[in-house]
Amino acid sequence: MFKNLITESTAKSPWLFHINSGSCNGCDIELVAVLTPRYDAERFGFKLAGSPRHADIVVVSGPLTQQSLPRTLRAISQVPEPRCIVTIGSCPQSGNVFKGSYSVMAPLSKYVHVDVAIAGCTPKPEAIMDGLVQATEILKEKRKAWLEAKKNGLKDGPKAETEQEVPAAEDIPASGEEVQQ
Amino acid sequence: MAIVYSSLVYLGYILIFPGFLFCFVAGMLITGIDRKIVAKMQKRVGPPILQPMYDFFKLMGKETIIPAAANKTAFLAAPIVGLAAMVVIQLFIPVISTPILYGTADLIVILYLLLIPALAEIYGGSASGSPYAGVGLSREMVTIIACELPLVLIFLSVAKTVGNAMGTGLCFSLSDIAAYQAANGSLMLKASMIPAAIAMLLVIPGETGNHPFDAAEAETEICEGMLAEYSGAPLGIYKLTHAIKTFTLTALFVALFLGGIGTGIVLLDALIEFAICVVLTIIFISLVHAVTARLKIEQLFKYYWTAVSAIALISLVLAWFGM
Repeated sequence: MFKNLITESTAKSPWLFHINSGSCNGCDIELVAVLTPRYDAERFGFKLAGSPRHADIVVVSGPLTQQSLPRTLRAISQVPEPRCIVTIGSCPQSGNVFKGSYSVMAPLSKYVHVDVAIAGCTPKPEAIMDGLVQATEILKEKRKAWLEAKKNGLKDGPKAETEQEVPAAEDIPASGEEVQQ
Repeated sequence: MAIVYSSLVYLGYILIFPGFLFCFVAGMLITGIDRKIVAKMQKRVGPPILQPMYDFFKLMGKETIIPAAANKTAFLAAPIVGLAAMVVIQLFIPVISTPILYGTADLIVILYLLLIPALAEIYGGSASGSPYAGVGLSREMVTIIACELPLVLIFLSVAKTVGNAMGTGLCFSLSDIAAYQAANGSLMLKASMIPAAIAMLLVIPGETGNHPFDAAEAETEICEGMLAEYSGAPLGIYKLTHAIKTFTLTALFVALFLGGIGTGIVLLDALIEFAICVVLTIIFISLVHAVTARLKIEQLFKYYWTAVSAIALISLVLAWFGM
């Protein structure tokens, strides 16, 4: 009886957790612009959560510096299922102008499944809003897939599909040169 | 047969009206209206009024992560204890003038039951083993102590006023208070009770932990304090308890100061009570939320123990001299 209600609600109440992995602060202000009165993302139910455990959507900005990558991955793994990962800006997608630097580990998709990647340097608030709304649809699909898997006897849902091996901090190469793209 | 029937009736009281289901709908709607009104005051469109319901049902479907450092039993039991206490309070509060459960010292029972959700949150937070929860629970304890003194003074002044009229000294029974107001008009109309009513309205946002007084759950500062480690269903139950607390405290205000305006038909009374609660929430929670910034914990403590307590004390002194 409540299953459909919960599935519908999953798309209507996405809480965001924002990780800055060495961003220049450009994308971060644009995200704040999305949440504040001008663009008011709260009309779709978006809310900024303080703790990764409360979040549904993880928003990552920045080129993933060597220091921040293990912390980013650890924070992402603390978010309860069903969850979505959204990257803002070109940095987490390609490394942008920082590509080739010894301390830049982008792209994020090498380490974890990215659901929506919003390109741009920086993306417009409209683009961020569009990406976040797409992410809510993906959340709903993930919830449905999880219910389906539960029906078929998998207790914890289809985690293997969405989650790749997360490298431990010491496994990540110390130098960016070893990571050929 | 009679026992089965009466236990079914009590089960209905607890689960449907005025217990869980009624509290759930009323609390969620009040919180939704509060969020919408705050958004309007900040020139935003704001979330739909049903947003707290969506939040609650979404959290019910999420995975529950239990931290490795946590005490599992305490961590999971705390939210349920808090919710149960919150629902029980609602049974003691008369729907304007019709009490459901009553005794000789309802007000004292309510005073203790109001503490349980906050204590459960402290218990669950400390069981989670998070440093954010540690900071949050120490602040929550200070908030409880800060709000308790004015609340006790308010209850005493109401009890003394009604007790004087009944000739029993102090009257802590909410059904007697409701009967007194039905006979003599609302206590709000008595000059000596107006300061107590104002103090009660100032206590409500502090007791519910709403915006200027939310130092214990500052989400931008300490990740919602005691809730930092919670996820999924337990977090949803905490959110529900908060929503019900807003409704319970405004309903308590209606029972204490605005009794005697009911029609005698329980459903109609419940609607009137809900409408008054919404108005009180908009003026004394949403408006205060929109125009103030968060107070530091020592400012909060000072505010409640000086200004608000002094206002409540005026009423108590007036009541003690029989005015």
